[in-house]
Amino acid sequence: MNWQIKYALASFAKAGRSTAEHVSGEVIRIMTQDQPDVLAAITAVETVNQATAAQYREQIAGLDFLCGYRASCVWEGEAIQYLEQNRVGWGNFGTLGSAALDGDANSAAHKVYKFSDRLLRQYGRVAKVDREFDRIHSVTLRSGVTFRIGMIADYEPTADEVRTLWERFGPVDIVWNINPNGTPQPDANEAGRALGCEVMKWDELKDCLSKA
Amino acid sequence: MGRAEGLPEQGLMTASEIAVHLLGTCASLEHFDAYMFGSTLNGFGQDIDILIVGPGGDLLAQLKKEMRCAGQSLPLHILYMQPSEECHSQFVAREKCIPLAQLASSAS
Repeated sequence: MNWQIKYALASFAKAGRSTAEHVSGEVIRIMTQDQPDVLAAITAVETVNQATAAQYREQIAGLDFLCGYRASCVWEGEAIQYLEQNRVGWGNFGTLGSAALDGDANSAAHKVYKFSDRLLRQYGRVAKVDREFDRIHSVTLRSGVTFRIGMIADYEPTADEVRTLWERFGPVDIVWNINPNGTPQPDANEAGRALGCEVMKWDELKDCLSKA
Repeated sequence: MGRAEGLPEQGLMTASEIAVHLLGTCASLEHFDAYMFGSTLNGFGQDIDILIVGPGGDLLAQLKKEMRCAGQSLPLHILYMQPSEECHSQFVAREKCIPLAQLASSAS
């Protein structure tokens, strides 16, 4: 049994609201009272691209959910699109746990980014959203102006997180701290300015989008 | 409860064992202050939360490489802070972070 399966089973055992059993390889079955069983693959990859997503879906008959166990796991936009079109839920371990309880594993999306993704899509001035990665959105406004926005979910984004986002995903115009209770560290704001982007919360982002 | 054979957390490294592993495999940690915080300190956590405080630049880049290797089979969740950020947030005190060296010394 590989390490991420051990951690996943131990986590379900500790939480206690669902039960889980190892099926084979990277696959577990999660059982929750009054909800359908969930067949989930628990991957340890650092990045889920379209090929990785397709490989899991094609090799595991009846796959309901693909879980990236590492906190650092990144999902490419094409992988997200592929999984959603094929009714396979996707996201981190927390998303899987919630989806098993809610009975919506096939349509669940990474809960860290779900609400901010929706917020952008529903904002009136936004004409088009291109989700390049789970946390990187290229947003075109009705005015024709485009912003490349990177999301950081931490409570107190650090300078390193801003620099790492930039290094990993390339230049962005805005770093959005999507944690509603979050406050970027002053050093994070400074790191953003040094790179050429602004670190902000939703109110500032909304203001920025409304004026562009 | 889980249906794995035996207790599911059996076979997972303890906080002390993780500290020994990280200090033993990441030589660059000598340039940083390294801590563990969160639920792993109480027995088991879904992630292993690590705080690293210290310089940026090449030393940090090297440490990140080493931590990536060390975390090949561990769910490490690492937060890197500059000393000024730790000072500003009081993260170590607030989150009751324990130095890795202290955890390692308590390993049996």
